[in-house]
Parts: sequence; C-alpha cells; structure tokens
Amino acid sequence: MTDTAPSITREQTARVQTARVQTTRVHTALFAEVTQKLRLRAKELLESGEVVSVIGWEAGRFENQTTPAFITDANKVDRLIFNEYCANTLGKYVLSEKLDGKVAVCVRGCESRGINRMISDNQLKRSEVYLLGLPCPGMVESPEVSHASEPSHAPEASSKLLSKCAFCTHRQPVVFDEYLGTCEATDETLGGLIPKPIDPSERFSDVEELEALSLDERNAYFEKLYNNCIRCYACREVCPCCTCRECFVDQARAGWQGKQNNLEENRFYNLTRVFHIGDRCVECGECERVCPMELPLMKINRKMVKDLTTLFSVPEAGLDSETISPLNTYDVADLEEYL
Amino acid sequence: MQLSKERVDAFLAELNQAVRVYVPARGEAVSSFARYGQGTEPAFDLVNTDMPPKDMLFPQTEKMYRYGLDDEGKPFVDATFDADEVVLFGVRPCDMRSIECMDDVFLTRGFIDEYYETRRQKLTTFALACTAPAPTCFCDSMGLNAGQAPAADVLLKDVGAAWQLAAQSEKGAALLGKYKGFFDESDVQDAGAKNSDSVSCTLKVDMDGVKEKLDQMFDHPLWEDITKKCLTCGTCTYVCPTCYCFDISQSNRMKIGERYRCWDSCMFSVYSEMAGGHNPRADKLSRVRQRFMHKLCFFEDRYGKSLCVGCGRCIQKCPVALDISCLIDDIGAAELAPVALAGEKGAGDGKH
Amino acid sequence: MANTKTANSKAANIEIEHGCAREATVRQGLVPQLCTVKSISHETSDVMSLRISTFDGRRPFDCKPGQTAMVSLLPFGECMFCVSAQGEDYLEFTIKRVGYVTEQLHALSVGDTVGLRGPFGNWFPYESLKGRDVLFVGGGIGLAPLRSLITYMLDNRASYGRIDLVYSGSKPSDLVYLQDLQEAWPQQPNMHVHLSVYRESSDWDGAVAYTAPFLEGLGISATGKVAVLCGGPSLFRTCSASLEKMGFALEDIITTLEMRMKCGVGKCGRCNVGGKYICLDGPVFSMAELKTLPGSVH
Repeated sequence: MTDTAPSITREQTARVQTARVQTTRVHTALFAEVTQKLRLRAKELLESGEVVSVIGWEAGRFENQTTPAFITDANKVDRLIFNEYCANTLGKYVLSEKLDGKVAVCVRGCESRGINRMISDNQLKRSEVYLLGLPCPGMVESPEVSHASEPSHAPEASSKLLSKCAFCTHRQPVVFDEYLGTCEATDETLGGLIPKPIDPSERFSDVEELEALSLDERNAYFEKLYNNCIRCYACREVCPCCTCRECFVDQARAGWQGKQNNLEENRFYNLTRVFHIGDRCVECGECERVCPMELPLMKINRKMVKDLTTLFSVPEAGLDSETISPLNTYDVADLEEYL
Repeated sequence: MQLSKERVDAFLAELNQAVRVYVPARGEAVSSFARYGQGTEPAFDLVNTDMPPKDMLFPQTEKMYRYGLDDEGKPFVDATFDADEVVLFGVRPCDMRSIECMDDVFLTRGFIDEYYETRRQKLTTFALACTAPAPTCFCDSMGLNAGQAPAADVLLKDVGAAWQLAAQSEKGAALLGKYKGFFDESDVQDAGAKNSDSVSCTLKVDMDGVKEKLDQMFDHPLWEDITKKCLTCGTCTYVCPTCYCFDISQSNRMKIGERYRCWDSCMFSVYSEMAGGHNPRADKLSRVRQRFMHKLCFFEDRYGKSLCVGCGRCIQKCPVALDISCLIDDIGAAELAPVALAGEKGAGDGKH
Repeated sequence: MANTKTANSKAANIEIEHGCAREATVRQGLVPQLCTVKSISHETSDVMSLRISTFDGRRPFDCKPGQTAMVSLLPFGECMFCVSAQGEDYLEFTIKRVGYVTEQLHALSVGDTVGLRGPFGNWFPYESLKGRDVLFVGGGIGLAPLRSLITYMLDNRASYGRIDLVYSGSKPSDLVYLQDLQEAWPQQPNMHVHLSVYRESSDWDGAVAYTAPFLEGLGISATGKVAVLCGGPSLFRTCSASLEKMGFALEDIITTLEMRMKCGVGKCGRCNVGGKYICLDGPVFSMAELKTLPGSVH
C-alpha cells in the first residue's frame, strides 16, 4: 500500500454520478400510486392463499430509511411502502422464504435479473415465486443513517443516486407476473419521468479509468482496496450469484481461505469470489452497496462484464433464465488465438 | 487545565515522538482511528468513527506465538510478545465504555489474557466528551453519560477555543504533567464552548426490564421475524466496539508456523460447527438470537453490564437496516407467553 | 446387590464446582507447553488413546477427574479433549478421528511432539460423591470423560459405594477400553458393567439394545444413587429422559458437555450456553443446572 495509490472511494464514479444526479422527490406521485397498488395486490394474493409471504420494503426507524419487509398477514399489508429509499435488492430473500410456500416478491430491474440468475443456476423454480413488477426511477442515498456520525450532511447528498443505480441499464423489471407501474414495462424512461438509462458509451467509463492506469498504479489501487476489506462477507451473503451450499471460504477442512485479515487473504477472498461469479454477475451492485467499508467492489465485476461484452458480444446476464452463460458453453469454432 | 486548539497539533506531534498517537480520521472510504502524522488529519468533529478503536487492544489479526523446528531440528514455541505505547486521543465515551467491557472479558474471570493485558497497560486514553450526538446514538439509554468517560485517563471537554483537560487516573496525570508546557491553567470558556454536561441523545430506548424479559424469551417468535431479514454477514460484529469473539488458527511457511487469533463472528455458520459436522447453532435463527442475547442478556449474566454501549454503528452499517434499537423496542412490547422449550440442538452432547 | 454404605440414607447434596470463572488468577492460557507422545493404544478403528508426557518424562500438569485440556499439533491446529486418565508421568487422551486435526493426531508416532495447555474447566464432584452409589451411562467415545472419574473412584475405592456402568456402542468393535470393560472393571469390588450394542453381530453374545431401553430394563434403583451421563446428542436426550423416568432427581444427574472451543479460557465466546461458557464454567453440569440455561436441553 502506498500513499500515491489511486483513490478507492466510490466517488471515482462521480463523472457518471454527477451527470445523473437528479431530484427524485418529483416522483412522489409515482411512488404513492405504486405503493397503493402494491398493498392492494399483496392483500389479495395473501387472502386468496396464492402466496404465503410478500417480500417488499417497510419504513425503518429513521426518516428516509427503509428495511426489507416480509408480510404474511393480509391485515398487515399497509406496512409495505415503495419510495426512493428502497435501497435493498430483495431477490435473494426468496431462497429462504420459499421454504414455506410460494412467495411474492417486488421486482425492479435488479431484482428481476437476480431472479433469472437464480433460476438459471437451479436455485429457484419460476413457479415458486410470484413477481410483482415495479417501475424504478433509481434509488438515492440515505446519508442521514449511513453517515450519521458526520456532523453535517450536505443536503444535496440525499438526492444523490446510489452508485449501483447510476450504472443501472435495466431499471424496469425484465420478468414479472404482473406490473404495477404506470407506463409500459419496456419504457426505461418511465413515461418520460426520468432520463434514459446510462448511455452505452458511458457505461464502462469507470472501468476505463482503471484500465488507463499503469500496472503499478493498478496494483497499488487493488492493494489498497483489499487492505481495507474486513471480510465480513456481506458482499457474499447478499449476492444472487453466491448460492453455493458451502462457500469455499467455509471449507475449513480444505483450508482454501486463511482466517487472517491481511492483504493476501483478503485479495484471495475477493478475487476468488469475482472469478467464481465470472460471467454470471447481474450488476445489481448490492455487494458494493452493503460493503461497510464502502469499497467500490463493483469495479472489478464490471471489468469482467466489460470484457465479456466487448470481446465476446454476449448479452447482459440475467435478462432471461434460458440463456446459458458464455463461460458455460463451448464451441469448437471459438477463437483460440494462442493455440 | 486547558489545551488551546491552536496548540493541539504541536502537542500531538511532540507526543507522537515518544509514543504512537492515534486520532479519529476520515479515510478515503470510511473513518477510523489512524496513526497521527503521515498526512493524517485528525477529525475531532466526527461524532464517531465508522470503525471502532477496538483493534488498538484487540487487533483483527494478532500473532500469538511462533513455532516450528530450530536449526538443530528441535521443536520450539516462541511466545515473545510486546506492544507499543499508544495514546488514543479523541475517543468517545461510548468507545471508552466498550474498553471497560473488553477489560472485563480479557482481564477477569479465571484467566488474564496476556496479549490484551500488555496492550492495555501501554494504552493511555484521552476521551472527548460528546456535545452533539448523532441521530443513531443512544448511549444515554444504555446507562452512559455522553459527557463523561470515567474509564478514560484524561477527559477532554470542548470549551470553545480550547479543550478543558481533566486527568482521571494516575497515568493520565503523569502524562499531562510531562507535557505541561503545552497546557495553560486557565478555565476560561468562550462563546464557542459546547455543552457536554447534559447532552441528550435523540434516539431513546427503554432498557428497563429488557434483560429480565429476555431471560424468558429464548423461544419467542420475535426472533423469527428479525431473522428473516438478517443476511448473517459479519458487519454488525466487526463494526461493534464490544464484539470480542475470536478464532484461533495458524499459517505455516516451510518449517516455521505462526498461531494467530482473529476476529470471528457468531453470525457465521462455521463459528460453532464442531469437528464431525455437528453444529449447535446451525440455523440462522440460533445465530441471530445468540448475538442479540449475548449483547443484551448473557453478558449481563456474566459481567453485570450490557454489552451494547449505544454507539449506533450497527444501525448505521447494517445492510438491511436491522436496527438493535427497534429490537429493544420490540422486546419491550413483546408479550410473554408460556412456550415449550425448543432450544438449540444438542448443546448437551458428550465430550469428543 | 445390598448397599454397604450407610451414607446413602442421609446423602449429601451434590455440589458441582463452577468457581473457575470467579476471579482472574492465572496468566498462562493460550500458549501450549511442548510435550511428547509417550505411548499410543488403538481402541477401535477410529479411536485411539494417546499418553503424553513432558520432554523430561513428567506428567505435564495435575488435573482433576473431568477436566479438559487443549491438545495441539502445531502446524495443524488444536482440539479440546477431556483428560481420560492420568498417571505419575502422563496424561491420557482418548481421541476419535472425526475431523482435520484428529486425523493428524491419529497419524502421530511415539516420540512425536505435541502441544498441551490446560487444565481447563471444572471437574466431576468427586468429593460430594463420596459415600454414594454411582451409575455411569455412556455411549461410544462418551466413556472417555467418565473413565477419569471411574479410575479415580477405583483408586479410592473405600470412599464410594456401588458402581454401575451402562455402556453401549453401535457394534462390538466400537466399544472403547475393551480390556477394562471385559476384564479389569468387572473384577473390581462392587462394580457392575452392563454392555450393549445397537446391532446384532456374530462376535457378540451380550445384549443388543439402544442405550436408553437397555438402561431402563436393567432394574437399577435410583434410590441413593447419582447418575453420570455422557454421550452423543441422541443418547444424551434419550438417556436423560430415562434417568428421570427411573426416579433420579435432576440434581443427581451429572453430565459433561461439548461445544466447539478455541481458547479454552472463557474469552473467545463460541462455547456459551446462555451466560455460561462450557470451557470455563463447565464442562460438568447437573441436569438441574442445565434446565436453567436457555436452550441447553431437548
């Protein structure tokens, strides 16, 4: 780790973020309408017995904060809310919740791609979930809680898009059983309410910044990044790709992963996870959002996505549940330049 | 005795010549206690650092001893251990209380932990009384006073252009005596003085009877509700200033190995898994319950105080907003029904 | 068999010492003492007994029946075991091959170096058991901790009443300390060994039954007796119920527990049941005590 290493703050993505900062509070009407529809449908689904649980969000203790909600009682659907602070991507919760029966879950672009991911990975059957599609204008940071210890919060901070949403290419759900939005589910601008998702030319701008660094600078960057990791494994727990029954980290007997917190072990954990996710990342960005050390974990994932996209022209992951991910296929016509 | 804010840097720089001085500082990503100097800008305005100062006494990874074969091929264990003199400058009352909790764990009840003891004896603490708690702070509900830190060697209070210094231990008095040239004897408060005598947190919880209620809530359905959203990641345990559970493991290079201990989390499934695969806390609920019961009930059984100091870090950092203050409210509101013991499986196993 | 001890009529309460955690006194704790393997005996296909001495041939430390120690194989790790027996110049550990470290321990040879730290935890209440009849109930490797107390009682035979041992294994070749079970112990005065296996076997002409029904069918009276129980989760569950059914008071059922342990000295946190650490406050508890701990039984 050197003092001259490139910064590891997520603010590096500012070029994209600043371009997309917007006051989402104008979407109040949209959120109110969707919340009403959501409560109504949740009640009907629970009362009819079609589902045993509805996964959504409810208000947290603090203003501008939400928390995942698991509604099993039709009389409690009014706890459900949908607003610009619904930061949690909920898809992975169905894996534990479905054990009691069919589950309804709110899906935006990120959740729906995660659901497809889990279906492709044989973790979930489409018939086990009922997908309530929601239109998403992008979620904003809630620094009132996450940065509560800072003596002052810049007011503009609370209208800043989450970094994961700044890079989102599919805000609208790509799969659902019903859609609770006010526009066409294919309309990524939500009927003109928000700008189009990130322009393809900008999409990998942060990765390009990384690629432009010298080898030494890049090494210093990643060393600093992984030196700051505390290995809480929040990134793993929240990831819709991380569904191994037993993670390599926990295979104590095999001893792949040492328990020390140091650069070698932290780098081993993070890079192994990145490679294991490989071509399956649906770019929900939850790993980066949940990181308590606020590390820009998506950067290397997005480097993988960029290479797959630009070198092999493969579609983005999780847009459907049938496409076999590129590293799972083999074709004798594949270009093998080094052979 | 006062330390003018203009002279803080001079004092810390001088002190840093003799000992390792750590101050709250903003890092590129999160804030923590960082070594003074080397470009570190102290951030005394931070209510709390994102990461607690517990690694000063209990590093995330700590070498315990080396072992292996010496030049003559004879096995050896080398447990030489020493620590640097450290001054923790600007630690908050809640974090000071967390050090009291760790003192209880590592220095009492049967065994004294020598690693901790060595670091603890070489640590001098300057606590900074709080004047404006964060919205997530609730230390005064946990029996603390945000303006006091009785366990600190020196207490600092903001009196405007200076900090009022009060030695609270011999160690603190000796250190202040040694550097008295930096201090003046005035006790002037100017208009910028901040009140730290009757600071009140906005977030309140009612701890009255919570422990006694938890004694009867091991099998309460409340745990099922909070378990659903918990990811069982280690965030809350690692940002917690009092979570002290550790694992012991080793790394080997050729003929020399090193046994170390490292932070562990009761949230991880392997935490309590035994050789042969049996795990008394195999399910997520048992682990979530274990953490909160340990904080609010079991620790009190053993050490007579709560293991939660109300610093609010877990509230800030939990990825799913699982809020311990809400849980305390829920415990307070929970109805106690006589329920059959379901219990953790197999804690009553035979040896081996 | 007639009871020869009159003490039973006014049996003293069993008092289990939990004072290990009372105050800080001991500094040594986490660093092992290097010792050497004195002898190895193979009990079954996956159980062996390891006798460990200091390099100069002494007993590594004194311990009371039921106490535990951390055995470490330096490059591989450490495991907590109950001291199953001790002699003038050794401590004995009976170790089943169940995981990574125990597998490595099984590969040891006489003269190899191991690390040892202890003694840890409390002990069987051998003082307050004086004058009492004792019923031991164990299964498989669960006999190892019981053996330390049985041996102690046999060494101080006059102080104790009748001894019954009810012991089972899946098959005859799973029974540990076979020589003791079949030859040495049955010859001891007023000691009765009752063996069963779970499955019929051509080399077994004894009882075939699970431990709990076998125990209940022996017609052993609970009057004046204390039971000491150790076995795996299902044996523990079923036999503790049997003992209660047979009329044993909860205070008179004593057991020794197992949890995953790392430090052994009540610091690392993982072996708790409620507010108690098994390594330090235990491993020995009475059933009456266990019932006060959250989630510890059934």
